[in-house]
Amino acid sequence: MDPPARPRRILAIASGGGHWVQLQRLRPAFEGCEVAYVSVYPDYADDLGGCRFYTITDVSRVNIRKLFVIVPQFICIMLRERPDVVITTGSAPGLIGLAVARLTTRAKTIWIDSIANCERLSSSGRQARRVAHQWLTQWPELARPEGPHYWGAVL
Amino acid sequence: MIFVTIGSMFPFDRLVRRMDEVAAATPEETFFAQVGEGGFEPAHMAYARMLSRTDFMAKLRAAKLLVAHAGMGSIISAMEVGVPIVVLPRQARWGEVNTDHQVATARWLEGRPDMHVCFEDEDLPAVVAAALKARRPDAVVDRTAPKAFTDKIAQFIAAA
Repeated sequence: MDPPARPRRILAIASGGGHWVQLQRLRPAFEGCEVAYVSVYPDYADDLGGCRFYTITDVSRVNIRKLFVIVPQFICIMLRERPDVVITTGSAPGLIGLAVARLTTRAKTIWIDSIANCERLSSSGRQARRVAHQWLTQWPELARPEGPHYWGAVL
Repeated sequence: MIFVTIGSMFPFDRLVRRMDEVAAATPEETFFAQVGEGGFEPAHMAYARMLSRTDFMAKLRAAKLLVAHAGMGSIISAMEVGVPIVVLPRQARWGEVNTDHQVATARWLEGRPDMHVCFEDEDLPAVVAAALKARRPDAVVDRTAPKAFTDKIAQFIAAA
């Protein structure tokens, strides 16, 4: 018999509000995995019941000055967590998280664009094509054969 | 209690001001508002600029109605705890948001159970009054995404 597979390590990233609430609805997908979460408000740890949680600086769109803060934060998190999978429901901090994961780890990355973007992908979502192994929209109308793909929605 | 939230610090005085008028006209009801850093200060509602996630959820659970911007955080949180919602989308033309995605969200949500959509703030008093009288659905929304979606993500994780 094969030895039992080691639990997959997941890093799950979301900025505030709807991005975080949508990420929480995906938790059944992480069952049996070792999950650490990243968001922008320390009190979000209250939703987690003891999972590891990191707070990073919020950035709206990509602001060069804040990149000097958030990129080192993500590098530290990647070195500590050594994730197998990095998943994000947006927004800009999630995009930067996926980019740092691609540069510093062998993790597979997933971008899930917010369900709020029903007519057009968010600007971070459009850029995520370049850093996500799986690039997803929650709206079948926005899916294309070359991506973004549609696997379902949080509601 | 009727809980009013603009979802973040980013001002949305059009909602707060109109709900303050509703509160003034409805003395039999209590109101609590999260108002962000807008310039308008409610005179007829207790309020906070911002609430922690824990305080937000406690207020929401105690509320009979949520009146909110059309942001998914407020909307999904209310659905999960079974509180009916009135939404007024933020609009780019008033500088309340960068794009009109909240108007699109509100159009998509219109007609869902426990969801009362209002596109113009002058309609808010009537929509709030109707929401308070509306019949409630029997079913509560699940706290998790549909299994077909989370299963696909789980497969991706297992293959990584």
